[in-house]
Amino acid sequence: MKSKRVGKPVFFVIFVLILALSYSAFFGFHDYFGDTEKTYIKGANKIRWGIDISGGVEAVFSPDKKGLKITDSDMESAKAIIETRLTGLNITDSEVYVDKKSHQVIVRFPRTAGNDDFDPQEAVDKLSASAQLEFYEGTEKNGTPFMTGEVVENAAYTYNQENGHCVSLKLDSKGAAAFYQATSNAAANGTKISIYMDDENISTAGCSQAISGGQAIIYGDFEQSEAEYLAKQINAGSLPFALTTDTTSADGKTTGEGGKLQIISPTLGNNALKVMLIAGAIAFGIVCIIMIGRYRLHGFVAVIALLGQLAGTIACISGFFPDTNSFTLTVPGIAGIILSIGVGVDCNVIAAERIRDEFKKGKSIDGAIDSGFKNSLSAIIDGNVTIVIVSLVLMGAFGNPDTFFAKLLSPIMNLFGSSITGSIYAFGYTLIIGVIFNLIMGVLASKYMLKSISQIKLFRKPALYGGKKNDK
Amino acid sequence: MINKINSKKVMKIALIVYAVILVTGILFSIFAKLRLDINFSGGARVAYSYEGNLKQADFEKQVKTSLGKTDFTLSQNEGINGGAKTYVISIAGNKSLSTEKQEKLTNELTEKFKKNKVELSESNSVSSSVAGSFFAKSMVAIVLTAILVVIYVGIRFRKIGGVSAALTALVALVLDLLVTFCVCAIFRLQIDSNYMAVVLTILGYSLNDTIVVYDRVRETKKYYPQVTLEENMNMSIKGVMTRNIVTSVTTIAAVLTIIVVAEICGLTSLRTFGIPMAFGLLSGCFSSMFIAGPLWVCWKQRGGANKKKA
Repeated sequence: MKSKRVGKPVFFVIFVLILALSYSAFFGFHDYFGDTEKTYIKGANKIRWGIDISGGVEAVFSPDKKGLKITDSDMESAKAIIETRLTGLNITDSEVYVDKKSHQVIVRFPRTAGNDDFDPQEAVDKLSASAQLEFYEGTEKNGTPFMTGEVVENAAYTYNQENGHCVSLKLDSKGAAAFYQATSNAAANGTKISIYMDDENISTAGCSQAISGGQAIIYGDFEQSEAEYLAKQINAGSLPFALTTDTTSADGKTTGEGGKLQIISPTLGNNALKVMLIAGAIAFGIVCIIMIGRYRLHGFVAVIALLGQLAGTIACISGFFPDTNSFTLTVPGIAGIILSIGVGVDCNVIAAERIRDEFKKGKSIDGAIDSGFKNSLSAIIDGNVTIVIVSLVLMGAFGNPDTFFAKLLSPIMNLFGSSITGSIYAFGYTLIIGVIFNLIMGVLASKYMLKSISQIKLFRKPALYGGKKNDK
Repeated sequence: MINKINSKKVMKIALIVYAVILVTGILFSIFAKLRLDINFSGGARVAYSYEGNLKQADFEKQVKTSLGKTDFTLSQNEGINGGAKTYVISIAGNKSLSTEKQEKLTNELTEKFKKNKVELSESNSVSSSVAGSFFAKSMVAIVLTAILVVIYVGIRFRKIGGVSAALTALVALVLDLLVTFCVCAIFRLQIDSNYMAVVLTILGYSLNDTIVVYDRVRETKKYYPQVTLEENMNMSIKGVMTRNIVTSVTTIAAVLTIIVVAEICGLTSLRTFGIPMAFGLLSGCFSSMFIAGPLWVCWKQRGGANKKKA
């Protein structure tokens, strides 16, 4: 049962590749043309951190008109609409609080340091837009709408062969009557009906006959995701009031322009990021010392593999390439990395212990390494697959509804309303990426590195693999 | 070195230890009141604006004196266009800050920091930011994970009766998660999003640990088909014990390092992450060998006895 020998250079090739990956993932590659920096590969410093680690922006929204009658459930729907819009803006880490007495909504989200494309003021403007749905006779937004989003009881995504992806609306009795009137006019005169979301025309269509029964459909040449999002936006958007960030606050004091938009310190504490980086580096160092201390040469190989795993994970979080977005990293996201590193350590420990056992049985170096890896594989694979199952379910349950895994689980999860929890999604994401890199680095790369390095004469001593000195 | 392991015997002692931890944890959470983060419980948020330099530590000290026993967290805000700076005090729990208490706090703060012109700029009573449906969804996600794990383990370990093995693995997992919860209750740690991260980590770690034990049982059965399940389990546990210890020592050492470094640097907020995590990892390693394994043996033995009777 002898497997193929691995050549001596293989170790060095993998070693150099991992070092190159680590360097680029941690430090990136930049160039300077005068004052402008051009990034070829993004380093770890381009990672977006969550509010817990590096702080962010806090906006306090109030209804833009005074004297409105606002119920608790209005406030709840305001919260829902803002949460939906946050994910629409790709902000996965956020906190939304409502104050039902003073009718304020407090939104906190991370501010991307060093990213000029992200303007928090713009994000806040988008969050506070009313998203009012309006229906007009004709093709233009002229005069008063014959009905608005208020009459929509429910919006749902539908698909039909004739029109592709569209959104069907169920109207209340008032809406049904208005829509019947408008459609009979349009059918009689051959005119069209336009639907606007705020100031944007989302659909203009004619109709051949009057539509009764309170069912309207928005055809708009949509992609599936657009239509689905629109349905959600309409459901969440049927709000009786628009929000604003600058208005008189509860105690009557007027705050100025942008006065309610504030920079917030990290929820974990001011120096959270720095401390966590130092702590992480020392912890990684201790893991390295334990591994090398116990498994000698195999420990050294394991450390290289772990470095590769960490670098790969970091690269997938920062985006690595300049035009891919960074993932927002929060404490749960970091926990995902820690767990995957733990799994990576475990994978190397299992293999190394197996190799030691083989030495005890009196096997040769090549024999011990061969069967050690072979025997450890099933435990590693089964353990890793179980963890992949965990992370996939978490990503599906708590991710943005548009993501693949969320769609997979949507028949079950849609029963429970949309509750997007970015931090749990982040955990699933970093974990699954870490596990994939563990399979590449901890299983494949470390096996080839060890098999290769054990061919070098200098390293042909069982003691270097944790075997006894007198073993052969 | 231990020559023989009697896993069932250890389990009996382990169950007592777990029972003590759980009962203590439950008593603490009932009588000492569980500390929930404002994310989960809602609460009061009071903001004070100030001018000039006002150290967070000084401000925090005064708030502590004014509020007495009430727990709070403090964060610093700054106007985005160089506007006024504020300190925001968050207090979890909806009845935690009475009007009188808030007045007292405001008076004392304005008095103490006259130079900085401390003023009440905002006061909100907010409901929790975590939606009610979050908990329902979490339960569904956990059940779904459990079902998928049972299916996977059931298939991969069918030679040794995988479904029952998966179910006892879940028992061990639940115990590990309860331990993290009890640790929070006993050490009076706040249940916040850090704790959520701990739960998720232990979820993966505990299952992985148990799988490693079962993998060895599967292998032992292949090489020694004649030994009884109980003997097999004892042999397997002995076989994986070194691995379990090395892995746990390494991961726990890493987590402890994070706590120690954070404490030295004054970042106390990581306690709610590190402490339950360390205990959860310890329990995860232990329960995979001495709860999941022997419990499963008991199950199989009883099942066998029933079959014989019938």
